[in-house]
Amino acid sequence: MKETQAIIERVRRINETHQQLYLAIDPALSGLRAGQSVLARTGSGWTPYLREQWYPVDVQKNTLIIERPAGLRYEPGDVVSLIGAVGQPFKFRKTLRSVLLVAYDSEPTPLLMTISALLPQKVAVTLLLLGTARTYTTQHLPPEVEVLHGDDDLQWANRVTTVGWADQVFVTTTDQDHYTRVWHLFRELRAEIPANYLWGVFHPTLGCGVGACSACMVKTKDGLHMVCTDGAALDFTKLSWGT
Amino acid sequence: MSYRITQAGKHSLILETPVMNAAGMLGFGDNYRDLLKYEKLGAFVTNPITYAPRSPANGTRIVPLDAGVLVHTGLPNPGMNKVISGHRAVWEKLGTPIIAHVVVTNADEIRRCLQAVDREEIIDAVELGLHDETTPAEVERLIKVARESVEKPLLVVLPFNAVQDLAQAIIGAGGDALVACSAPRGTARDSSGKLVAGRVYGPTIKPLNLRYVGQLARRSSIPIIGSGGIHSVQDARDYLEAGAVAVQVDAAVWSLPKLLENISREMGGMTVTQPIDALDNWDSE
Repeated sequence: MKETQAIIERVRRINETHQQLYLAIDPALSGLRAGQSVLARTGSGWTPYLREQWYPVDVQKNTLIIERPAGLRYEPGDVVSLIGAVGQPFKFRKTLRSVLLVAYDSEPTPLLMTISALLPQKVAVTLLLLGTARTYTTQHLPPEVEVLHGDDDLQWANRVTTVGWADQVFVTTTDQDHYTRVWHLFRELRAEIPANYLWGVFHPTLGCGVGACSACMVKTKDGLHMVCTDGAALDFTKLSWGT
Repeated sequence: MSYRITQAGKHSLILETPVMNAAGMLGFGDNYRDLLKYEKLGAFVTNPITYAPRSPANGTRIVPLDAGVLVHTGLPNPGMNKVISGHRAVWEKLGTPIIAHVVVTNADEIRRCLQAVDREEIIDAVELGLHDETTPAEVERLIKVARESVEKPLLVVLPFNAVQDLAQAIIGAGGDALVACSAPRGTARDSSGKLVAGRVYGPTIKPLNLRYVGQLARRSSIPIIGSGGIHSVQDARDYLEAGAVAVQVDAAVWSLPKLLENISREMGGMTVTQPIDALDNWDSE
């Protein structure tokens, strides 16, 4: 974990709702992996007060690519203070052949670095957008990514096949109720949910982001864990409220 | 240069610089070890510790506000004994005095907590957090029990809504220093529209607490530690000019960890002089 300065080198509009920032970063952050994030502070004022948690969608040498809502204004040359790397990398299975990424009522951004990490390894990637996540436009994603759309009630075509085919699933959504719904859905669609299969990717608003304030604590069967230092991905089978 | 931040006596707490973090900001140990130099701080104040373990609050715990934040963690901690045993080795390496922030609701808890703290050589002082609704009579009783239970310096955080009412009770019962004061409580809607109650942090808190510090400093001789809304070196200076002997920096460190170190560096060796005509401004309506 280190506090460093980054410079926005390029701002690229990727669809109707999002833009990508290309940040020239300190080499210390170039080892960032899927599942990890940075805490960003732009400007010198106190609005926003807290650092924003930015999930990269890709890392290329000393460039970090960040996806941000299109309505926010960034200019090439802007300096951003970054604290990172925050959290642990996703624990992909060694024999992974296909992964299912699920965004439910939440932007898929925390999941997207998985695409650049896994496609070169010939892992098949499916992105399932549920609820309000359906509004996320995906034309900018690599054509190899299969994109599925579902509704607000967690219905989509070939549900059993999609879930059965995936070796691992990473789900991001908004709150505990949503994660509970996802847990019940997968228990309905699969006879057994093994460990290291279904992962919740949590992104609560962080206070400190380094494990000091305890605001992102989650109860698990192993005790209390911090999303910021132990997550963002936590195994559903270990969550004490998910069973 | 050194700063005595508690009453003079056998167990005074003397710091090399009059700057520390507020409880709840830097964790129990060295979470910020890569982001700031603990040894540059006057002291390290732990996250709130209760006698028994406490679970985190349910629901939303952080609500961003315009230039501020509302926090409701529920003060999760593994309990006094586990906090001490789990962090003793870390505290020994921090290179700065350790102040244990203890939250208690009754005399029995105070006695057990503070006796445990008093046995720990690595802990230099106790900071007592009081419930917002505590009455002056209860405070007097609790502080007397605390005083009997611990020989180490006893700092007491004044609840925001009862600064004047409780200050005299704390002084009378044997508190060694006052921390003025806790973050005020507020209510705000989270992103899903639910109302969340918690403590409010941000730059706008400083003028409120600064006034309390100015008033307390003129009405009592007990050392006062100014806390609340410090977001710059000048904010810290203002507290010292108001009469505080030291300051605590709160949620600003989450965004700018180095700020704490910078304030500490700037304040070290600082002697405060006050313009004479500024002294009467604290009580004006």
